[in-house]
Amino acid sequence: MRMASIDTVDDGQIAAVRATHPGAFRTGRDGLRKWAPWVIAIAYVIGSLIYFDVHLLFQASERALRLLRAMVVWEDMANWQYANIYKGIAQTLAMAFLGTLLGTIGSLFVGFLAAKNVMPIRVVRQMVRRFLDILRGIDQLVWGLVFVRAVGLGPLAGVLAIFISDLGTLSKLYSEAIENIDRKQVEGVRATGAGPFAVIRYGYLPQVLPVFISQSLYFWESNTRSATILGIVGAGGIGMILIERFRAQLYDQVFFVVLNVLVIIFAIDWLSKRIRLWAIGEKSH
Amino acid sequence: MLKLDKLTRRFGDNLAVNNANLTIPDGQMVGIIGRSGAGKSTLLRLLNRLIDPSEGQILFGDHDIARLKGKELRAWRSDCAMIFQQFNLVGRLDVVTNVLTGRLHDMTAWRTVAQVFTPRERAFAIQALDRLGMAHTALQRAETLSGGQQQRVAIARALAQEPKILLADEPIASLDPMNAKVVMDALRDINRQDGITVICNLHTLDTARSYCDRIIGMQDGRVVFDGTPDQLTNSMAREIYGAEADEAFNEAATSTSIPTSEPAPARVPA
Amino acid sequence: MTDIPMRGGSAGASGDAPFDAVATFERHRAELKASKRVWNLLALGAFTIALGLSIWISQFYPERLAEGVPRIFEYFGTIMPDLQWDRLFEGRDAQGNAVPGSIIFWYTDFWTYVELLWETILMAITASLLGTAVAFVLSFPAAANLAPNGWVYWFSRRFLEFCRGVPEILLALVFVFAIGIGPLAGVLAIAIHTAGALGKLFAEVNENASDRPVEGITAVGGSWTEKMLYGVVPQVMPNFFSYAMLRFEINVRASSIIGFVGAGGIGAELNRVISFYSDDRVLAVLILVILMVTIIDLISEDIRHRFIGKENF
Repeated sequence: MRMASIDTVDDGQIAAVRATHPGAFRTGRDGLRKWAPWVIAIAYVIGSLIYFDVHLLFQASERALRLLRAMVVWEDMANWQYANIYKGIAQTLAMAFLGTLLGTIGSLFVGFLAAKNVMPIRVVRQMVRRFLDILRGIDQLVWGLVFVRAVGLGPLAGVLAIFISDLGTLSKLYSEAIENIDRKQVEGVRATGAGPFAVIRYGYLPQVLPVFISQSLYFWESNTRSATILGIVGAGGIGMILIERFRAQLYDQVFFVVLNVLVIIFAIDWLSKRIRLWAIGEKSH
Repeated sequence: MLKLDKLTRRFGDNLAVNNANLTIPDGQMVGIIGRSGAGKSTLLRLLNRLIDPSEGQILFGDHDIARLKGKELRAWRSDCAMIFQQFNLVGRLDVVTNVLTGRLHDMTAWRTVAQVFTPRERAFAIQALDRLGMAHTALQRAETLSGGQQQRVAIARALAQEPKILLADEPIASLDPMNAKVVMDALRDINRQDGITVICNLHTLDTARSYCDRIIGMQDGRVVFDGTPDQLTNSMAREIYGAEADEAFNEAATSTSIPTSEPAPARVPA
Repeated sequence: MTDIPMRGGSAGASGDAPFDAVATFERHRAELKASKRVWNLLALGAFTIALGLSIWISQFYPERLAEGVPRIFEYFGTIMPDLQWDRLFEGRDAQGNAVPGSIIFWYTDFWTYVELLWETILMAITASLLGTAVAFVLSFPAAANLAPNGWVYWFSRRFLEFCRGVPEILLALVFVFAIGIGPLAGVLAIAIHTAGALGKLFAEVNENASDRPVEGITAVGGSWTEKMLYGVVPQVMPNFFSYAMLRFEINVRASSIIGFVGAGGIGAELNRVISFYSDDRVLAVLILVILMVTIIDLISEDIRHRFIGKENF
């Protein structure tokens, strides 16, 4: 049967096909289901922006331009007090590194406690999970404030803030990874007659380690960024200097610091890729 | 009529296709044979410009395909359909949408972005599937189909393009003998009844012999044989295949040599 | 070992095949271990140095911890509200004042908080929608295997990195300066950061997508946009959705503190009660924030699982 060209497909043929294969054609309800989410989303965005006074954005051009200009025109560079800036950056890096490390170690323990296949006692699991919810629900910045009250101003508070907020999130991610493992691999190892430690080492670890390492590296980078902010509440790092200089309207210095931070984050990103390759032979999660 | 003039493709020092000169009249069914790495796939992909030539011309009518760019190139690709060894369907989309992608070139921009197809296009797509006996799977996701079924959907997609030429790059290499026969029968059917030129790369000799009007043998990038199946003697074939001769040559064990009790019908059964 | 005769055609087999093969293998393995060992030692060395420096710079010393930890509990003590059992559920008195020791007194500003929390959630939704849209569009030119040319790729990547790299609070500060105090500054700051973070994730997913469907669409004469929409998008959609929902959960948290710099939401109130030492109100606000975040997390998780479930029939 030779195929007619599409141009010769007349209404009669269309009707014939529609009769035998109705599912292939769009109905009104199909159209609704397809377009409704888009319409709702766009309507919501426009509506909420109006609610948030989006017109202010368009009236702001003059101030914004002034700010941008101040950022890129660097003046009086000799007096920028580089020592303070780089001390702050060093603190930020130290906080992020140590905080992530502690968070990772802590989450290794708590993660197993929250995993269904490792902790069969439901009550314990649920309690651990609620506890983690609380840790996660409070933002890192608020933890920073709390720890500043407790241990005083400075990077120690920052390390603890990062540690606690990471504990909340990483534990959950780790426990999900543990729960998602393939039982067959573990059974395979057990079937060779291996003892419990060997089962963990060869059955569980190879499956969960890539996720653990991948997530921790991601958080290390993320924490480096959030560590730059913790200084705002006095928890160490470059944040305090950033705010000071911003309030003093020294926008060029602010921009300089931000550029430094971007370079560092770029470097950490590169480093994470290398570490991922070295540890698990994969480039990304 | 398709004319290849001194067509060459170089990869570094390697001449994947070396000075190919061929004239393929409309409506012919051509089989290209040769061992792996002989340049069959490269040659085919030069024809629809998935690979660009290093030298030479590809003439179809007045146009040099080798020089086409942008919209004209896409127009050519729409006219020159291709099916692949790995089917290259979009797994998560349903079968009928896959076939409809054959019509993308003729649709206006907003319709392609919004995935809005006219009832006429849909009817056409179902007709194409029906011809390949796959209309009953129209609403299934393409990835749920078997290999042979997916290849038939791919052929339906090619038909939806209303092509002048159909290229088939090792279309049956991933299929079992039963499905391979179905697919080759469909290609021959399209060639005979629609008059569409079919050029296929084939891994095995008996398939080429039973289905094609003309066989082109390639070895190390060169065209070393160009003639009818009868003209291809066993010794020539052996030389073309070289070390792989035993595998390609074992007529009893190759893909389309299943003995059937009745002749293949003109219409492919569901 | 030599009494197990090894037969079969292995490449490079010679007269005394079994012994040679094992010896070669052992030699290769030893070489590999040696070279790995060097890298491992270097890595360990670098790690130890980094650890030492970090501890020193942040003064993470046991004595300070020992001092500080009890003070943490002290702080939690101070923010406990002053509730009295016998007055817990008392309503307002004759003059309309709340009675100290009752829950109503503790949550005097309850409706203010609710209003601010509502604003917080709206901010998060708007910022997430805007950011996800930008991330989606840019994730294709920012994918190495999909970008139409090198320049486009480079610019997309750098733009996304910038959006992601600048801390949200800083962006919020800039916007507050430019357009004034209010939620719009927060929405814009979070949207920009979302575009960067999500864009990078999306681009990575795109880079891992199979190129076969894309080749299929090229072969039917599809344009670049059509290749992306038909070849790539169906593959990556489930992942995109999942990442976008996770990002929304994060954005709710971000919205709740962006108010610290005046960019809207409950953050301003939280900052106020902490700085003004209205300690019992701190817990009042925190409890509501934690509840909001937890509920949203649960809803988001449910939606995510439904979506994946639907995908897998």
